[in-house]
Amino acid sequence: MSEIGIVTSLPDRIADAWRKGLDLLIGRRLTISPRTREEEIFLRARNLARAGELQEAATTFGDAATAAPDLIAAFENQGELLDILGETEKARSLYEAGRILRQRLRGATPDRSFVLRRAGRSTAEIAAYTTVLQSVKQRVLPFIARGNAFLVEGRPEPALVDYEAALKLKPGLSDVLALKAEALLMMGRFEQAATTFDSACAVQPRNADFLSGRAIARLALRRLGDADADWRVQFELLPAERASARACVALRLADYGKALPELEHALAKEPCDPYWRLYRLTALGRLGRPAMPDAKPSLDSWPNPLLWLHAKGLSTEEVLARADNGERRAEALFQLGVLALPHDPAEARRRFTAIVDDAPPSMIEHAAARHELAGLGS
Amino acid sequence: MFSVIIYGRNDSHGYNLHKRAAISFNAIAEVMSDPDDEILFVDYNTPDDHPTFPEAIQDTLTAKAKKVMRIFRVRPEQHVHLKARTHLVALEAQSRNVALRRSNPRNRWILYTNTDMLLVPRNEKESLSDILATVPDGFYQVPRFELPEMLWEAAFDRRDPAGNLAKLRDWSMRFHLNQVVYNFMPMRYDALGDFQAALREDMFAIHGFDEEMLLGWHCDSNLAARLALYRGSVDTLVDKVFGYHCDHTRVAAANNKGRQTKMNDQDRFIWDVSTPYLPAQAENWGWPDLEIEEIRLDRDTAFERFAAGIGAAIEPATEAYRTTNLEWHLFNDLTYDLPHTLPFVCDQVLTYPRNSALMFVGTRADFLTRFAIAWRTMGFTGPVLVPNECQGLPLDTPGVEAGPFADLLRRSDMFIFEFGLATQGVSDPVRTGRLAEAMDEKRLKVVSRLFRQAASLEEETRPAARRLPRRFIGVNVIYNRFWPLFTDYVSANINPFCGQVLAGNPRIDPSMKGKVLRFRGRYAI
Repeated sequence: MSEIGIVTSLPDRIADAWRKGLDLLIGRRLTISPRTREEEIFLRARNLARAGELQEAATTFGDAATAAPDLIAAFENQGELLDILGETEKARSLYEAGRILRQRLRGATPDRSFVLRRAGRSTAEIAAYTTVLQSVKQRVLPFIARGNAFLVEGRPEPALVDYEAALKLKPGLSDVLALKAEALLMMGRFEQAATTFDSACAVQPRNADFLSGRAIARLALRRLGDADADWRVQFELLPAERASARACVALRLADYGKALPELEHALAKEPCDPYWRLYRLTALGRLGRPAMPDAKPSLDSWPNPLLWLHAKGLSTEEVLARADNGERRAEALFQLGVLALPHDPAEARRRFTAIVDDAPPSMIEHAAARHELAGLGS
Repeated sequence: MFSVIIYGRNDSHGYNLHKRAAISFNAIAEVMSDPDDEILFVDYNTPDDHPTFPEAIQDTLTAKAKKVMRIFRVRPEQHVHLKARTHLVALEAQSRNVALRRSNPRNRWILYTNTDMLLVPRNEKESLSDILATVPDGFYQVPRFELPEMLWEAAFDRRDPAGNLAKLRDWSMRFHLNQVVYNFMPMRYDALGDFQAALREDMFAIHGFDEEMLLGWHCDSNLAARLALYRGSVDTLVDKVFGYHCDHTRVAAANNKGRQTKMNDQDRFIWDVSTPYLPAQAENWGWPDLEIEEIRLDRDTAFERFAAGIGAAIEPATEAYRTTNLEWHLFNDLTYDLPHTLPFVCDQVLTYPRNSALMFVGTRADFLTRFAIAWRTMGFTGPVLVPNECQGLPLDTPGVEAGPFADLLRRSDMFIFEFGLATQGVSDPVRTGRLAEAMDEKRLKVVSRLFRQAASLEEETRPAARRLPRRFIGVNVIYNRFWPLFTDYVSANINPFCGQVLAGNPRIDPSMKGKVLRFRGRYAI
C-alpha cells in the first residue's frame, strides 16, 4: 500500500479498531475461534466457498467430514459444492448421508425446551449467525440463534454471553431470560437458574418450556414439592397431541397411571422409538402389570439392552457393562430399581439413591428416582 | 403426506394472474402422489357476488388439480374487523393460518408456496410426496429460480403440467435459469416464501403465522426466523427439487408500489424475533371457531348447483326462442318472462353463503314458488323471508317464513324486490302493451314502499354482528317505471334489458336529492 493509501485508510482503520474495541467491551462476539481441528477445517472450507474457491472448498469440507463424521453440515456443504461443480450424483449421496445422520440424532426429551430437543454439532449455525452479527449488531435474533446453537452443542458459557448480549439490547425479554436460565442450569448454577426462571415465569406463567426448566432447577435445589407443582401445571398445559411430552412429565412425577396412556399414544405415533417401549414397560411394571417386550431388538444400540433386561435376556452386570456413559448408567440403574421394587425394596432404594447422587437433575430418571425414594420413605 | 397452502382472491394481482395461477395449480398437483395430499387455497375477501378465484378459472385446471384442491372461502364480512388496520385486501398470515387449522391431520408436512410456482423434482421418477416421505423432520427451503414472463406466457400450455415441467428441465440449462440467491440466515435464500416446508405439528406448536403482520411482506422471513429458532437449523431440498417462479412484474401488483411500498416492520418481525411461539394468538390463530365455507371443484360445483336449482324450478323451453321488447311505448308494461328471468336471479345469489337468509318482496306468486324451489335445490339452508305485508303470495311454500316486515328486516342477509304484475300468468304474452290492473297497482305500491324503507334503513337494521352492506336484487327493473326508483336507492351497474335484473348495495347519495329520498324511504312517505 502506498503512503497516500495508508493515510487515506487511517480513519477507517481507527473506526474499525474503535468498533472492535467497543464490541469487546460490551460483550458482543463478532468472530468465533474454532475449538477443535475439525471446526477449524470446516470454517476454512466455508471461507474458501464464500471466496469462490469451490473445488478447494469442496475438498476441505470433505476433510472436515472425515475428521468429524458427525459434522452433518460438512457433508451437506460438500454436497452443495459438488452439485454446483457438476458432480450431481456424488452430491446427492452426501446430502443423503447428512440426512441419515440427522435422523439418528436424539436431543433432550420432548417435554424440555424446544432449544434442547435438538442435538448434534452446530458449527455451521454458529458460523452463519456470527456472519449475520457482523451486519446486524443491534437486534436480538442473531444473538439468540447463536446462543441456542452453542447450547445445543453443550456449550452453555458462550451461550450465556450471547443471551446476555440480547438482554442488553432488550432488557427483560422473558423468552431470553428462560434461555439464559437453561444455560445456567446446564452450568450447574441452579440457584441462579431458578431465580432467572422465576423472572421469566412471572411474565409468562403458562409457558410449558419455562415451567419444565424451573422444575428441574427446583429439583436440583431439593425443592421437590415446588418442582412437582411446576410439572403438574406443565402437564396440564401440554396439548393432547404432544403425548410423548406429557408422558415424560408424568414419568418425572413417577405418576405411571398418567404416563401409561400417553406412552401408548406416543408409541402409536412413533412405533420404532425404543424409549417409549421401554418406558411403557416401566409404567406397566410399576402399575403391577409387568409385561415382556414384544421383541428383543438389536443389542448394538442403546437403550435396547434395557428392553432385554425386562425380557430377562441380560443380567444386571451385562446391562451395566453396556451402559457406557453416566446417563446410560442412570437409565440402567433406574430400570434395575424398578424391577427390584416388588421383591427387594432395599435393592431398589440403593439403585434410586445412586441415581439421585450421580445423575443430572435434567434426566427423567433423576426426578422419578426422587419420587420413588420418597415413596419408599427415604 | 403434505398439504400445500396458498392464498389469493378473485382479482387481478399482477400480470396475467389467471394463466400463471393455472400453470402453478396444475404443476403442483402433478407432483403429488399420496392420497392424502391436498392443495389448500384460501380465497380471501373475494366479494360475495363473485365466485372464488379457483372457481373462476376451473376450466383451465386439470382433473387432478380439481380433485386435490380444497378452497376455503373467507368472506368480506369475516375480514372486515381488520379492514381499518391494513391497506391490503388479502392478508397472508390470516389466510395461511385458516388453511393450516383445517389441513388434513394425517399429513406430516405443510408446504407454503404461492400461486405462481412450479416445483420440479430433479429426479423425474420422484414425486414431491416421495421426496417429503423420505426426508427427516426439519424445516426445509428451496431456492427460487426466476422465469422470464415471456417464457411462461408464450410457451406453457396451462393444461399440460407434465409438458411444462419437462420444458423447465430443458430451459433451466438452455437459458441458464438456475441461479441460487443466498441470503442471511435464518432466511437462507432470497424469496424464501415460495417454498417453506415445515412439519404440521411444528406449525401448530409455534401457533402458525404471526397474525399481527397486516401490512404485507416478510411473513415468510418471520416464519423462517421462528422455525429456525424452533428447529435450530434451516435445511435445504435443493438436491431434490427446484422451484421456478413465474415472474409477473410487467404490471405491479397491489402490494408493490416501488419504494413507496408499505411493509411489515423488518426489525420487529425478523431481527427482533426472540421466540418461535406467539402466545398472544395461541388459542385463536387460524380462527378455529369461525365457520369457513369449503368449496370443491370436483363435486357440488357452482354449475351443478345452479343446474339442479333451475332444473327443479322450471321446465326446459319448448320453443326455439321467445320475445320481449324495449321500445319506449312499452315503458309501463310490467310483464316479463319468468322462466327466462329466474336463471339470472339465481345467478345473483349463487355465490353467497348457503346459510344466508333472503328476503323476498314481490307480487308474483309463481316467482316465489319457483324461486323457493331453486333456492333449496341450490343447497341454500337459510330461509326465504316474506313480509306479511305482501299479499297473495304462497306463504306455505317449503322454506318460506312469513313475518312482519320490520322483524324480517333484521334477519335478512340480502333482498329480492320483484316488480311484476300479480295478475300475469306464466304463459301470458310479454311486453305487448298490457296495463296494470287495480290489484297489480295495489301490490306494487306495497313493494315500492317496502323497497324504499329497506334501502333507507339498511345500515341500521343489519343483523347483529354484520358490518357490511347487504345486497339488493331488483327483478324487472330495467326500462320500466321502476328503473329510476331502484337505481335511486341502489348502486347498480347498467345491465342488459334481457336479464331483467339489477343488483347492488344501497346507494349513499350525499346530495340533497339523496337525503330527501332517504327521508321519504325511511318514513314511507
